[in-house]
Amino acid sequence: MDKQEFINQLKEIVTPYTEDHEALQNIDENTDFIKDLKINSANLVDIVLDLEERFGIEIDNDSMSKMLDVKSTMAIIEEKLKSGDR
Amino acid sequence: MIGNDIVCLAKAATESNWRRKGYLERIFTPSEQQLILQHEDPSLMLWLIWTMKESAYKIINRETGIRSFAPMCLVCSIQEVNTCNASGLINYQGKDIISRSTISSCYVHSIAARTELHLNAIKLNYAESHAGYQNQFNNSQFSYHLTKNLVGVPQLQHQLTGNFHPVSISHHGTLLAIAYSDSPL
Repeated sequence: MDKQEFINQLKEIVTPYTEDHEALQNIDENTDFIKDLKINSANLVDIVLDLEERFGIEIDNDSMSKMLDVKSTMAIIEEKLKSGDR
Repeated sequence: MIGNDIVCLAKAATESNWRRKGYLERIFTPSEQQLILQHEDPSLMLWLIWTMKESAYKIINRETGIRSFAPMCLVCSIQEVNTCNASGLINYQGKDIISRSTISSCYVHSIAARTELHLNAIKLNYAESHAGYQNQFNNSQFSYHLTKNLVGVPQLQHQLTGNFHPVSISHHGTLLAIAYSDSPL
């Protein structure tokens, strides 16, 4: 998966859950959903559900627990997409 | 360690659609879901349990230094609830955290601690959420100085003794709650 392409898709998904549009413009793999984008933790579930729909994958609770930033989210989606290929 | 969490009900209503398919099951255990769905005001019960989980998470996060988003691992039970107060337990890995909550038409606010003693020692400071709240708190009393460390964790130091005291800050919408304790860390 292309990194920039993934970040663009993720940016689209998180847009409704952040009020910090300046931070959103600067989103990169080191962006933290809570610290940088000021996303409310109750909306982290929405991001997980949106990603499941978008990529046609299932994200288990253990994976969800790590999805606090762009980098770890990308790693988990990649892993799920790979295991779906088999 | 102490924790606290406040939810502005009006903001939560616009921010979160908990009726969305799959949402409840990702955050709440079957028995918590039952408490929510059987309550006359399901949203209120949902945010009550949510603030319990969040305030307990803040304690665990301070103790372990680990950040994670695993609301299902924080198993809540409600001991008492009426229209303005609630008390409950949050079980995490076999150990209980105690919580006490305040309910109003505008917000739900929970505080949590490991022991009754620590819970009773919590002092609360409610204010409006704005960038200058730290200065406002520091100017409002002389005993404590509130700062944030390099990673953004709030720290409260007693001005005379130099001791650090437990502190937890929560804000949501226009609401801000600072919980702190007179007994040092």
